[in-house]
Amino acid sequence: MSKAYSKPAVWMKMTSLALAVTLVLAGCSGGGGKSSANTGGNISGAAPASSAEQSSAPAQGGELSYALATSPDQLDPHRSGLAVAVRVIRTLYDTLVVQLPGGEIKPWLATEWSISEDGKSYTFKLRQDVKFQDGTPFNAEAVKYSFDRIIDPETKAANALALVRPYESSEVIDEFTVKLNLSEPSQAFLGNVSQALLSIVSPTAAKKDGDQFTKHPVGTGPFKFVKWDKNSEIVVEKNPDYNWAPETVSQQGAPNLDKIIFKIVPEEATRIGSVQSGQVLAAETVPPQNILSFKNDANSQLYQAGTVGLPYTLFINHSKAPWNELKARQALQLGINVEAIVKTLYLGTYEQAWSPLSPGIFGYDASLEGGVKPDIEKAKQLLDELGWKAGADGIREKDGKKLTLHYVDGSPNREKRNDIAAIVQQQLKPLGIQVDVEITKDVATVVYANNNYDLYGNSQVNSDPNALYSIYHTTAPGARQNLPNLSDPELDKLLEDGATEQDQTKREAIYKEAQQLIINKAVIIPIYVFPYTVAASKKVQGLAFDSLGYPIFNDVYIAE
Amino acid sequence: MLKAVSVRLYTSLLVLVGTMVLVFCIVNVLPGDPALLILDPSSATPEMIANLREQLGLNQPFYERFGEYFLHVLQGDFGKSIVNSEPVLQKIVEHFPATLALTALSSLIAVVIGVTLGVLSAIHRNRWIDIVARMVGLFGISMPTFWSGILLILIFSVQLGWFPAMGSDGFSTLVLPAVTLGFVGSGFIVRMVRNSMLEVINEPFIVTLRAKGLPGRFIMYKHALRNALIPALTMVGVIIGDLMAGTVVIETVFSRQGIGRIIADAIMAKDLPVVQGVIFFSAIVYIVVNLLVDISYTLIDPRVRRTG
Repeated sequence: MSKAYSKPAVWMKMTSLALAVTLVLAGCSGGGGKSSANTGGNISGAAPASSAEQSSAPAQGGELSYALATSPDQLDPHRSGLAVAVRVIRTLYDTLVVQLPGGEIKPWLATEWSISEDGKSYTFKLRQDVKFQDGTPFNAEAVKYSFDRIIDPETKAANALALVRPYESSEVIDEFTVKLNLSEPSQAFLGNVSQALLSIVSPTAAKKDGDQFTKHPVGTGPFKFVKWDKNSEIVVEKNPDYNWAPETVSQQGAPNLDKIIFKIVPEEATRIGSVQSGQVLAAETVPPQNILSFKNDANSQLYQAGTVGLPYTLFINHSKAPWNELKARQALQLGINVEAIVKTLYLGTYEQAWSPLSPGIFGYDASLEGGVKPDIEKAKQLLDELGWKAGADGIREKDGKKLTLHYVDGSPNREKRNDIAAIVQQQLKPLGIQVDVEITKDVATVVYANNNYDLYGNSQVNSDPNALYSIYHTTAPGARQNLPNLSDPELDKLLEDGATEQDQTKREAIYKEAQQLIINKAVIIPIYVFPYTVAASKKVQGLAFDSLGYPIFNDVYIAE
Repeated sequence: MLKAVSVRLYTSLLVLVGTMVLVFCIVNVLPGDPALLILDPSSATPEMIANLREQLGLNQPFYERFGEYFLHVLQGDFGKSIVNSEPVLQKIVEHFPATLALTALSSLIAVVIGVTLGVLSAIHRNRWIDIVARMVGLFGISMPTFWSGILLILIFSVQLGWFPAMGSDGFSTLVLPAVTLGFVGSGFIVRMVRNSMLEVINEPFIVTLRAKGLPGRFIMYKHALRNALIPALTMVGVIIGDLMAGTVVIETVFSRQGIGRIIADAIMAKDLPVVQGVIFFSAIVYIVVNLLVDISYTLIDPRVRRTG
């Protein structure tokens, strides 16, 4: 090659040089990027608030940017099926009653209520000073409309339909008195009425927009809907007329913030990165490896709220051999070292679950904690007793059939659930059980339609132990099976009694018995209790959480 | 030339119809019932499920559903999302500009970096600049975008604070995702341009030009590059398709709006009308891009005009 070709323009040289430098830089930062994660930030120029400033009076105004981990499906409370949607729905709507963290029910849009003798009618007296954000007056008609809307098949209600059960009809007694009728008594009903999915919607707006109500939601909540850019952000602004907050918040009037911008940021690293860079002020669902670093970060803080309901649980399919036998299930119970799983994956930031219910819910049986201890030898012995003998490859066999376990999980590694499957696979190997893991979003087909699972992991947010009913009670003939595919008359009786028992002490005892029965019969293997975590700038003050672990923004202010 | 274009248009139309049939078949043959995905499986009653299936038209036979879909598409109606009843076409129209901007900028980055480095590395074969260019090419091709994207966020957003880590408003949010994607594309182009430049440089006509005493730089940029660009241009057409597909990952990593995000969500939710609509729409874009690439050959290479 002649010399003439070897002299490129200077800029070209510089470009390639710059590229090379960038590459080297990129290579270096891959490993050591974390050490100086606190430096810099393109928006937050101000110094972090000192602890002295935190106790001063809440500042008015300002915008809170809050990164959500997934996109809400609906802003129509009655049609939503996702927990993430509830974080936004809670800002737009109110419910008739509110539940305190201890489980006690207090007034909200309803000032008082009475329950009929037979436990089948609830009469609510309503507040008279409430208006929907579109100007529609709030009254008994609006309550009747909202509840009737949930059970109307046209609405295509999702989770709200399960919560509202056994609601049947409403009667408007007078302008501010409404009577809700149930088909059977339910002790869970009032608690469910406190849940965001049973919020009261503006009848005018819901009738006008029909299917599209989800895009122009109107409630009586502390914030008004502004806009929803799909997959990007949801903006809500202060409702200046708001003056009917429940006693769970200290600010009785309109909220401090002018605006909340919910950003949708599915990628974990991006979500955490945008808090660290100051692009958003708060982000939900912090991965365990970042929880510790946020705790020690001078510029940010970490909120953790225990969620209530059913913890993440592995359900054993009772309709599949050999898991229909107690000894086989006990072998799993003793062979899976849950403590090791939780410690390894969540680095001490999540709590181990011991019961089919999570701590904090009414009736939780704390005596189960520390009960079941892993015991490999005992587990092996139980399988021996059932006639499963180790084969040449270490996998147990009986009548020429290998001992395999089909493990199904429905989430793409949410909270490292897929890693749990991998660890269980390793832990059961020494026992001679071969675990085949299937991760699929289409749980409806695999689990419910085809009954093709031995072990299936799931969790549920709920406010009442009656949540156990839909998971463990024998299902009606022809209806879909319950998750462990179980039919246990003793447990059925307890769950039926628990649903209707009015004496709270008795009701608590019933649910404790039900929890013990479920663990003693090795129906499930509880794994972890999910804490809702929020990483936030120190400037964010006053963030609180409701009894289910959902964030409440009424008292939030930005300290400069 | 007009004839060549009309033949290409005709085949494009066939490809479109084929795509539609294929997508409809695949999406409808996949296991899983959308009705079960919409309703909460643990609480829905069989009647609720049956009602919803009826409403979604899932009870009709396959050919009837396809026929109906085909007729509607001809009228520009791609149906409604079964998740939130939004018209699919409106969804696409709303989100396409963001994806278009991302694809366009990343293509530009890919072409500029790719052609520059490709030419330099061919001219300075086995010198340091060639080694750098080949390294860049290799990195671009082999780094998964979700990884390099997060890396860029860590460096330029968290550490340096130069660009936002996410969002889709304004040019500043476009930079990091476009660089991430463009880098991948540039990797392919570098290798392509380098190889074809090397081939062309050794062809007899270049040797002849050199023998006639034309200045080296003139030969390289006027004659060699022009010939080397044809295969690279084909590559660009293919890469634009790749980049569009890449937006599915990138739009999620950088939490941008766009049709990549839409389809990712729609597949998760088994929102059939949206999946079908977006794939069909992407196919149209891809076909149009390749058509334009084919036509632009004629502008670069007069021989194509005659033989086409």
